[in-house]
Amino acid sequence: MTGRINKTLGLLIGAYLLVFLQSHWQGPRLWLGFQPDLTPALLVCAGLTLHAGHVSTSAMLTGLWLDSLSANPLGLSVLPLFIAGWAVFTFRDLIMRDELVAQFYLGTAAGAAVPLLQVWLLWLVGASPLFGWEMGVWWLINALFCGVAVPVFAKFVKLLDRWFSHPLHEPNSWPNENRQIVRGKH
Amino acid sequence: MKGFFYKSQQTAVGAVLLTVLLLLVMPESARARLKSAIGGLFLPLIGISTTGQVALESIGQLGASGSESSPTKQVLGQASDVPPSLADLQMENARLREEINQFRDANDWERRIPWESKLVRVVGRDPFNWWRRIKINLGSNKGIRFNQPVISAKGNLVGRVSEVGPLTSWVVLAGDPNCRFSALIKESRSQGGIVSPRQYSSDPRVVELTYLPNDVELRPGQAVVTSGLGGGFPKEIPVGQVVDSRVSKDGLYVEARIKLHANLNQLETVRVLTRY
Repeated sequence: MTGRINKTLGLLIGAYLLVFLQSHWQGPRLWLGFQPDLTPALLVCAGLTLHAGHVSTSAMLTGLWLDSLSANPLGLSVLPLFIAGWAVFTFRDLIMRDELVAQFYLGTAAGAAVPLLQVWLLWLVGASPLFGWEMGVWWLINALFCGVAVPVFAKFVKLLDRWFSHPLHEPNSWPNENRQIVRGKH
Repeated sequence: MKGFFYKSQQTAVGAVLLTVLLLLVMPESARARLKSAIGGLFLPLIGISTTGQVALESIGQLGASGSESSPTKQVLGQASDVPPSLADLQMENARLREEINQFRDANDWERRIPWESKLVRVVGRDPFNWWRRIKINLGSNKGIRFNQPVISAKGNLVGRVSEVGPLTSWVVLAGDPNCRFSALIKESRSQGGIVSPRQYSSDPRVVELTYLPNDVELRPGQAVVTSGLGGGFPKEIPVGQVVDSRVSKDGLYVEARIKLHANLNQLETVRVLTRY
């Protein structure tokens, strides 16, 4: 439990810092011409490692923080982020979640799906965001960024877990010295 | 019970759906207050980053003033035994003259305009690429009000204040779908409306001037200024210049692409017109 709380706290602090950087660090916008959004990658990471309650908490807080710094209606980003995290959480037992390639594909898919869902929801609520074909290129690059970000975030979560959690005690796991049959000479 | 709460998938899904539903049915004013409160959670980080930025700038200035390669210092005999070359001195002279001219322009401009303004620092931007908004470091406690015009430090139009919090405010930039205003061609006095570009452009300086009369004579490079109609912006604020033009699809009016004078991607300080 402690490990999970540490992971959740780590993810939430990471999300808070990420949202702040996306809003206040102008470097990527000047170099790339657009601001990458890596929050879908964070939710994929949450879906891969955390429980249902933690995934929903991460999606709600990250979405609310993002929308509070944006012209989006408050709460609009919650649902797309939650869907991304929840889809990964639901099928995580069927995928090789520790493989870098799998993490990359999951991140890319989430990075592509979340902005589409956000724009679709914006249209549903009657907002008229700027839109054009040029954004398609950015959407693709952003999806790739998310793909790259998932293994990085996953590695970081593992590191945090190792630093702040006790190792699990598993008495029946193999090799267990207490249960080994030691053969003597006779 | 605690375990059930965390492990129950139905509870997790239900909580998210309920939150989204509550936020959607919430009255607009309450939602705006909640948004402002949640955005306020980032104020400590904004404070830290602004302080850090100012400290870095002052260190940079100290470093620049401490530089021993400056020909000015070399002239004063403080730094090097090697006398500066004539080319070095001429370059330094040109740089200093340019700086003086910039300060003089800013000072003249401030004296010339009939409006009262407040110089504010840009502390953030909308994280989503489909909106064009910036966050400034002053709010209602310093006299910032809804819809006040915002111009660049050199006096070119930037946008208007769209949301005001107690300590910070949001400015919607020209080119955003939510920032439309009346403008005119300075030469011919033909009036139209500045709107966001129909197709998204990576250059945030390109906007559209639409609903111009069919008989208007447009040439690239013609100056565009605010018309003062509608009361949102005072008259004659420089907006940009004409890039090209075309007749609308239905042939009823002319549309022109305008390149804004203000570089909206590199705004660090802007002026909010508090009385105009």
